[in-house]
Amino acid sequence: MLQYVNVTIDGAPVRAEKGTSVLDTAIHVGVCIPHLCHIPGIHDMGACRLCIVEEVKNGRSKVTASCTLLVEEGMVIRSNTDKILKMRKNIAELLVASAPNSKAIQDIAVRCGVKDVRYPFRNENCVLCGRCVRICKERAKANALGFIGRGKDRHVDHPPGRLMDYCNNCNGCIMFCPMSVTPCGGLMKKGEERLCGQCDSQLNADAQKMPGVCVWCELGKGFQCSRYLAI
Amino acid sequence: MPRISQARDLETLQQHFVAKRERVKTTIVVCGGTGCQASRAGSVIDAVRAELARQGLMQDVVVRVTGCHGFCEQGPIMVFEPGNLFYCHVTPNDAQDIVSRTVKKGEVIDKFLYTDPVSGRKVTKEAEIPFYSAQGRQLLNFNKLVDACSIDDYIAVGGYRAIAKTLKEFKPAAIISEIKASGLRGRGGAGFPTGRKWEEAYEAPGDEKYVICNADEGDPGAYMDRCLLEANPHQVLEGMMIGARAVGARKGYIYVRREYPLAVKHARIAVQQAREYGILGENILGSNFSFDVEIARGGGAFVCGESTALMTSIEGKVGEPRAKDVHTVKEGLWNRPTVLNNVETWANVPHIILNGAKWFASRGTESSKGTKILALTGQVKNTGLVEVAMGTTLRTIVYDIGGGPKNGNRIKAVQTGGPSGGCLPESLFNLPVDFDALWEAGSMMGSGGLVVMDDKTCMVDVARYFLNFLRDESCGKCVPCRVGIDRMLEIVTDIAEGHGRPEQLDLLQELAETVAESSLCGLGKSAPNPVLSTLKYFMEEYRAHVHEKRCPAAVCKALVTYSIDGEKCTGCGVCLKACPHDSITGEKKKPHVIDTGLCQRCGICIGDCKFDAITVR
Repeated sequence: MLQYVNVTIDGAPVRAEKGTSVLDTAIHVGVCIPHLCHIPGIHDMGACRLCIVEEVKNGRSKVTASCTLLVEEGMVIRSNTDKILKMRKNIAELLVASAPNSKAIQDIAVRCGVKDVRYPFRNENCVLCGRCVRICKERAKANALGFIGRGKDRHVDHPPGRLMDYCNNCNGCIMFCPMSVTPCGGLMKKGEERLCGQCDSQLNADAQKMPGVCVWCELGKGFQCSRYLAI
Repeated sequence: MPRISQARDLETLQQHFVAKRERVKTTIVVCGGTGCQASRAGSVIDAVRAELARQGLMQDVVVRVTGCHGFCEQGPIMVFEPGNLFYCHVTPNDAQDIVSRTVKKGEVIDKFLYTDPVSGRKVTKEAEIPFYSAQGRQLLNFNKLVDACSIDDYIAVGGYRAIAKTLKEFKPAAIISEIKASGLRGRGGAGFPTGRKWEEAYEAPGDEKYVICNADEGDPGAYMDRCLLEANPHQVLEGMMIGARAVGARKGYIYVRREYPLAVKHARIAVQQAREYGILGENILGSNFSFDVEIARGGGAFVCGESTALMTSIEGKVGEPRAKDVHTVKEGLWNRPTVLNNVETWANVPHIILNGAKWFASRGTESSKGTKILALTGQVKNTGLVEVAMGTTLRTIVYDIGGGPKNGNRIKAVQTGGPSGGCLPESLFNLPVDFDALWEAGSMMGSGGLVVMDDKTCMVDVARYFLNFLRDESCGKCVPCRVGIDRMLEIVTDIAEGHGRPEQLDLLQELAETVAESSLCGLGKSAPNPVLSTLKYFMEEYRAHVHEKRCPAAVCKALVTYSIDGEKCTGCGVCLKACPHDSITGEKKKPHVIDTGLCQRCGICIGDCKFDAITVR
């Protein structure tokens, strides 16, 4: 039998299935929490930190990622306070500055309210969200991809350094890679990177006024919002 | 091999070892810690032993090789007991002199005595050296009493009496309330109340529980955990046994980094000896308590000092932290309730049990009890390991124990808590060493590193140094820590190289605050501390770099100019020859000139000039 717990998200009482994460619960009830590394049904690693929320406990609030936070009876969550929105914007800005050639990341930056990028662009090909690694491990059960190295040397590769025959060629890693779809304007070369403004047109006025509510924005399709993936 | 099967055996054995010690006429205590070994203590020990054998003194004189005494810069160190005579900077060639004059005739040889750099006078006794006498040593005092590789020595000074007492008199709940009453807080940095941690683990459901000793110390310049584990591993073992008894664990791990080979070796020997004596294993001292310890070696990743990363590493996976929304006392190693404490925390436990919570709580401040070992380094006269009662002010540590600034410069700041701690300015030196006071000031206790900086240190450069360290040591799992630290370093480097823009200072502050709140683990959460604290207390230095393109401490290469003081320069031509960039010109016996366009600011000329004629601004 399914067990339920009662939690409060942004002031609204929500009944959630025991064992689910706060992020899944919030998305299910239509609260918009932008996220990048989360895929429904796959273990979360809390890497992108876009889905940060405030958990209020004993009068003190603690910032934590909602994807790795499991619902508990009486839990109080605030997902779109000014503080959270500001930090989320800063993280989205870091992401878009490292990898502007991803439609998903450009979309997230727009949704998080990034207006200009204050860092030099880097044009990297990977943001280490770990979606490919986890899809390979958990859905394809192949373990053909892994993280190698630490800190600035961390990268995704086939663990022995070359493609092994235990890769099923399922293409799951490519499908779930946020870098696989380039921005509408096409691939930006080094030195041409910019914050993509075109996607802004897809975001209607309501969406900007209501950062905490899911408006079924077009952007969702771009960054593979799990609300789209779940249906 | 004596096997201790009940508490009475332990007492008999202790009396036996004490009597054996009393028969010895002279004990030469030689420090064999990593620091002294680096200054060739190993050869000194061999030479002294050979000399004793040659002169036929082996019966009356014992050479006790101990762990670190803390005064590493004076190594190799030798203390003669009884008498407390202290020798420093001893070399293997001195062995003959020492044995025939000091050991045989009781003569004091002047040249080995320690000279106090503050007063300039020679000191004969160890206890009279200001570096030692200004401290309040509890744990470190034991180091010179025991040979780290000898369980007999540890039993002789009263070792394993605490676990015997625990097994006889205390129920698990009573141990926990004793630790709670003592006010002991975790020495690893965060200062979490140890008693509360144990209680949570005790109450956590599960029949399999673990205790872990965190000896993965990675802060640059800090080595108190290494010292304790190297010098007195049995003390740590005993602490872990008491903790295991309290929470109901049967298995413990000591996670020690591979870069500490001596600590690994000594811990292994200690575990082996304790097993042979029956102190580790089944039915310890005739009770129903069984416990064993395994040594796990870490590969040297700084992040593996973080509790969850450490546990994943023991599990055999890549040492990466995981979300800690469920505490490790409930789901830790192999998802079982786990108590993880720092070496120093464990080492304190036997003393609390033996001497009582009141004794421990009698020292320290309202919220932080007991003593803390700090690694004092940087621009002070005396450096080394320092143990002080909590609440001692930074000023006392820097000026009384450390002896004040080296080279007559002015002390500007101390950096506490290692790379994730903060820099505190001289105006805050009256702050007590106390978990909460340091935290409120924007720094932290950390594991206890204390780096003293003088006015020749540029705070922007300091922030850059620590960011560089943290960028390499971040595991790279989460975005704020991996990318955030990299971007902070980018900004600070811009500032140090003179490309800084005023708006970057605000961006740096904003980014640092975001990283501090949103990172996954403790490393990322504390990584911005060097930036935040220097921005808070040394903003004028950042401004000088950004607005005036000037480095007040003349450290940042891009912002300084070298010039020759025409009055001091004698035209000797040394700098002219030494300059690898041919930027110095001038005729013999006439003041030379530096071509600032060619000068690469390498500093070679400063080192070579005998007249202090080269100035950097």
